[in-house]
Amino acid sequence: MMDRSESRAKSEISFSVNGQHKKVRAYPMERLLDILREQLKLTGAKEGCGEGECGSCSVLMDGALVNSCLVPVLQAEGSDIVTIEGLASGDTLHILQESFLENGGAQCGICTPGMILAALHLLNGKPGPTMEEIREGLAGNLCRCTGYSHIVRAVAEAARRRTAV
Amino acid sequence: MRSNPCEFEMIAPGSLHAVVALLANEPGAWLPIAGGTDVMVQYAAGKLPGRKLVSIWNLPELRRIEVTAGELRIGAGCTYTDLRKHEVVEREFALLNSAARWTGGSANQNRGTIGGNIVNASPAADSLPALLVYDAELILVSVRGERRLAYADFHTGYKKTLLAADELIQAVCLPRKFPGYFSHARKIGARNSQAISKVCIAGLGQVAGGVVEDIRIALGSVAPVPVRLRETEKALRGKIIDSDLLLAARQAAMAEIRPIDDIRSTARYRAAVAGNLVVEFLNRLHAARTSGEEVNAVLTGWNRLRVEEAVQQILPSCGSKAWAEGIAARRPFESGAALLEASDEIWRGLTPGDWLEAFENHPRIGEARAASSSAQHVSAQSVEWSAQEQRDVQNAEDAVKAALSEANREYEKRFDRIFIVCATGKSAGEMLEILQRRLRNDEATELHEAAEQQRQITQIRLKKWLQA
Repeated sequence: MMDRSESRAKSEISFSVNGQHKKVRAYPMERLLDILREQLKLTGAKEGCGEGECGSCSVLMDGALVNSCLVPVLQAEGSDIVTIEGLASGDTLHILQESFLENGGAQCGICTPGMILAALHLLNGKPGPTMEEIREGLAGNLCRCTGYSHIVRAVAEAARRRTAV
Repeated sequence: MRSNPCEFEMIAPGSLHAVVALLANEPGAWLPIAGGTDVMVQYAAGKLPGRKLVSIWNLPELRRIEVTAGELRIGAGCTYTDLRKHEVVEREFALLNSAARWTGGSANQNRGTIGGNIVNASPAADSLPALLVYDAELILVSVRGERRLAYADFHTGYKKTLLAADELIQAVCLPRKFPGYFSHARKIGARNSQAISKVCIAGLGQVAGGVVEDIRIALGSVAPVPVRLRETEKALRGKIIDSDLLLAARQAAMAEIRPIDDIRSTARYRAAVAGNLVVEFLNRLHAARTSGEEVNAVLTGWNRLRVEEAVQQILPSCGSKAWAEGIAARRPFESGAALLEASDEIWRGLTPGDWLEAFENHPRIGEARAASSSAQHVSAQSVEWSAQEQRDVQNAEDAVKAALSEANREYEKRFDRIFIVCATGKSAGEMLEILQRRLRNDEATELHEAAEQQRQITQIRLKKWLQA
């Protein structure tokens, strides 16, 4: 049990998640990951290592890929967050999601949301990446099933389709 | 034990002025947090020293890079991504650019900052040896004003620095005085990426007429702080690089470091690797400046291309996409010799699938165009080179040509791909003889023999390309 005298005040923090305005009450050092999962019920981002090594909690913050386990929620104030839940529109999957499905890019699924967001971050900056660049773009995301070749293939395929559109 | 967020206070004042005022009011009470890539890890482990944090993430005063004629002034809040994207860093401070690329994956590069890396003071940080060899200076700021000091003096012991309790690092300044220097960075870790270094090196050097004019070497992970090898440098300056000097350099370097045993490596291993890295740097420096006294224009141009263009341009020399991407990723190359060496290394590390892709880019011996279904990808350059390589066959007697053609088809039936031989300088008769011998190989032997031939073809094509 915590000592009441040690307890600090919660703050009101606003940001946008997947295009929707959100206001949460939270301790400033709560992790963005926990706020997304527990307050906003967006459980796509996963906690793997909790120390920025595995990438399973990846989200986009103002367009930049970040590990949400390393972001104190106060630093998300005013930002635009995109999670895996924001990619599909209705029943229509995002090209990356489709490509992961079709190419067997997901096995147990724990790393998949982070992989897809890392891939999106990569393709937003480099629409036609080389295989080497895909591997580098996904380097911070670990797949414990070691299904990397299919993941890389899925991203390459999505890039091809996206530029073809 | 994980920290409980309700026990922590955190504020984000939004301006540098407000942050330093806060630090001055209660010196040592507030821990600055930028992108959190170190602080949040300590927080998760319940290891933060205090309970009050002040956010300096994205403060505009700390997140800009100013370029003047004399120096590059990098705001301490610039991320590794900011560094990677900056043109002057890429062009003039290659060692810092490599270190930024090696630090974590993109999520950590988007949040980790150069100032945070310096204050965190890990002896294993990849960017710190680069700052040492570039003679970086730090600007520290507090309500008392600014002070500027040599980065080399900043770390006073393991995780100890000269930063006062009320101070922040405002900027890192790099003098623009190293154009034309040969630079070399390498990290040795458990893996190529996403691994903390066991030992890393940053080296800068200039050689004229075979003599070392200037040399700067720094190592990470071999002492409580990143170290500049000043004694080793002294032993090298003004000398000619030969085998005696390499031996002396290795000994000097090993005497100058104080590595330890830890979870990542042992002191003995680190000392040996440190010596090897110094010798490797000197060898590269020597090779770059002797073979490339007049730097190859094709190579220099190619070094500067965007990755996609570099891949496209070098692809016809081999035909394998994975090879082309691998070699483009290793740029910049200081010399043609280094390019040729890297080519062999990458080729040998490819999968049979990649080899087969390269084979498909060749025409059958005696024919003008590659016959495979993907042959439309074969570039004009590749077709022209094939024609040159097989010139002797075009001029051969019809009987030999017919026999070659027959044996080619037999080969294709047997191995389900075209026959690859380094044709340069071989007559049609010789080629026929080789083909008939190789028809007797088993599949595995033949695949390796073909791959070796392709390796030789690639070497010849790269040399032609460099001379274009």
